[in-house]
Amino acid sequence: MSEQRTYLRFPLARRIEHVAMLLSFGLLALTGLPQKFPTWWISQALVGLFGGIETTRLIHHGAAVVLMLGTIWHILVASYKMYVERTPLSMLPILKDGKDAWQAFSYNLGMAKSRPQMGRFGFEEKLEYWAFVWGAIVMGMTGFMMWNPISTAQFFPGQVIPAAKAAHGAEAILAVLAIIIWHFYGVHLKLFNKAMWTGRMSEEEMLHEHPLELADIKAGLVSQTVDPALKRKRQMVFFPIAALLALVMLAGVYGFINIESTVVTEIPPVRTVNIFDPQTPTPLPTVPPTPTAEAVAPGALTWDAYASPVFKAKCATCHGAAKVGGFSLQTYADALAGGNNGPVITPGDSAGSPLIVIQTAGGHSGQLSADELAKIKEWIDAGAPEK
Amino acid sequence: MSKKYDNSGRSHAGVMILIMLGFVLALGAWFSLAGIGDAMAAPAALPAAQNETPDEVCLGCHTQPGLTIEMSNGDILPLTITEQDFVASVHGENDVTCVSCHTTISEFPHPEKTADSHRDFSLENYTTCKQCHEEQYIKTLDSVHQKALAGGNTNAAVCTDCHNPHTQPRLTDPESGELTQEARVHIPETCARCHSSIYKMYQTTVHGSALTGEGNPDVPTCIDCHGVHNIADPTTNEFRLASPVEMCGKCHTDEEKMLKYGISTNVLNTYVGDFHGTTVIFEQQSPDQETNKPVCFDCHGVHDIKSVDDPQSGIAIKENLLIKCARCHGDGIPAGFTDSWTSHYTPSAKDYPLVYFVNVFYLLLIPLVLGGMVIFVISDIVRRIIDRRKKGATH
Repeated sequence: MSEQRTYLRFPLARRIEHVAMLLSFGLLALTGLPQKFPTWWISQALVGLFGGIETTRLIHHGAAVVLMLGTIWHILVASYKMYVERTPLSMLPILKDGKDAWQAFSYNLGMAKSRPQMGRFGFEEKLEYWAFVWGAIVMGMTGFMMWNPISTAQFFPGQVIPAAKAAHGAEAILAVLAIIIWHFYGVHLKLFNKAMWTGRMSEEEMLHEHPLELADIKAGLVSQTVDPALKRKRQMVFFPIAALLALVMLAGVYGFINIESTVVTEIPPVRTVNIFDPQTPTPLPTVPPTPTAEAVAPGALTWDAYASPVFKAKCATCHGAAKVGGFSLQTYADALAGGNNGPVITPGDSAGSPLIVIQTAGGHSGQLSADELAKIKEWIDAGAPEK
Repeated sequence: MSKKYDNSGRSHAGVMILIMLGFVLALGAWFSLAGIGDAMAAPAALPAAQNETPDEVCLGCHTQPGLTIEMSNGDILPLTITEQDFVASVHGENDVTCVSCHTTISEFPHPEKTADSHRDFSLENYTTCKQCHEEQYIKTLDSVHQKALAGGNTNAAVCTDCHNPHTQPRLTDPESGELTQEARVHIPETCARCHSSIYKMYQTTVHGSALTGEGNPDVPTCIDCHGVHNIADPTTNEFRLASPVEMCGKCHTDEEKMLKYGISTNVLNTYVGDFHGTTVIFEQQSPDQETNKPVCFDCHGVHDIKSVDDPQSGIAIKENLLIKCARCHGDGIPAGFTDSWTSHYTPSAKDYPLVYFVNVFYLLLIPLVLGGMVIFVISDIVRRIIDRRKKGATH
């Protein structure tokens, strides 16, 4: 079979636009939907794959900016075609589209003889295009509100923001599922339509999909050129206005991104609290401190200077407040008072003092060293002076 | 926009999936370990005694009132034990002997004390607890107290600061192993020994006043949030990020508990469904990274949690909530900004009607549009199959 004649359907610029939309839409969906379902494992996996929630949001915002710029470009191109080239408004929905849709459905149900004959854009394509326009408006507006909630709350009640969030998420689900059901079926499953990639359609495809456009092309109605002089005149009007419009729209995008820094990047100051402040008095069991003794001359062989410190260190555990055997060495008076079995220290008579007898025998729980014992002996023999 | 996280190393998808898997496993393990209910079951058997000095020998001296020793820094170490108190304690009940813990003392005179102060004495001796309570001791090694101690803060609590081994009553029900209500009521008092101003604050809160005032068994004590033995540092991001689910969510999603007080159990879901909560749920993937998103306690308070209807600070009152929002979003925010958070309400015709009607709109629009598309697509598929068969038949 000889090579079929093909017709240009999408010039390169349209195809690039489509790829840009496809990529940004896809990225928006992949980075956005997990945020709607944060507890799902697939959401966790996707966000992890993107490198964490902050990066995911950065990608989402970046893709949104690409989509916004694409939309601006599309508006400018469409305006040029409408005003300068006076291209027929083939994307505008007309009554015929409703009739076509009904006829197509009736045919599927076996209630119509044939499929509808359609022009450059059929009802399926128009539905998709205008759904995208609706989606872009809703997502753009609600996205702005979430991106700039404080500015939004200056002009609207605060609950507009959660409402925007609800709409953004629901619209996302609608858009993604509509693409899967309508677009995937219409151009991938029903027949694999490569026109958006190759830019061209075969005569046979045209005959099936766009017979009315094919007829127009054959009748020479489509590629009518505009008179160059008239075209230049229109361009002179169009370009300044379009430039201004483009500037305004770009300023809008800039504002969209920069109007406020709601995304708080600083870590708010930590509230500090006094962590360690023990209760007073301390709940630990302590005994009242003993009053500190008056300063004494060191080295003197007296109760204050020598005997008392030695007794405190070696004997006070039992013969202190505990008074084991009724005997205490806490004060001078206690020491001389003796215990249950009478005096323990007999001043002037170390050999007759039970303290020396017991200590010399050895094996007592609190045992004085030989040196200490000798000195205590000396102290008793000296009359056991207090000061 | 925050760009502070460096993700340059995460480019390879395969590696990422492995990391993700590992992460999910680690997360699971972490959650199970972070369980703060801690069985305090006593050890099955006492360790074999190396030292069999009977208690009577010790008590011969140590029941004398006023028995003390003066430490080299002047601290007085009391040495008297009240026999009745010890017998009534959980150790006394279980026939733990003096030398079970005081393992170094087997004869008289006792070995010289090496500690210079009362505190040093505790620090030298508390590890004796691990002989029987090894599980709890190992947990304390991960605690904020042990870390402070290792860092040189000798005030940091050790076993005996919370549990006086001579008088500690039984804390758990012997059958269930659960803390008794009697024990729960006294937990904050134990922590108050060192954290007294936090305790004073806690007593005024919706939880604390119910515990100390009414002995309410449902409200959290210190350990329900901070854990016991392995008390984690509450200032880490890890603690923050886990808190909504692991801490507050534990009780506040419990139907049975919340029904008594007429509190919604939907608070966690509504939090997770909103911007802050969604972010926190994702940030749990990398708990060590800094976060600035609020969790429950940023709005409701840390130790000063009041009823949301409290006239002074309750955040059901928008003026009070605005102060909380302003902490992060700045003082310039308009008053209406508070309504950008639906205050844990599920939107309805009465509460947050705009959100509700948006939801209703899409609840109708989505099935309508998609349903229409599906019906058309199915009819088209069926028609094409029929047409193809017919074509095949006529050929």
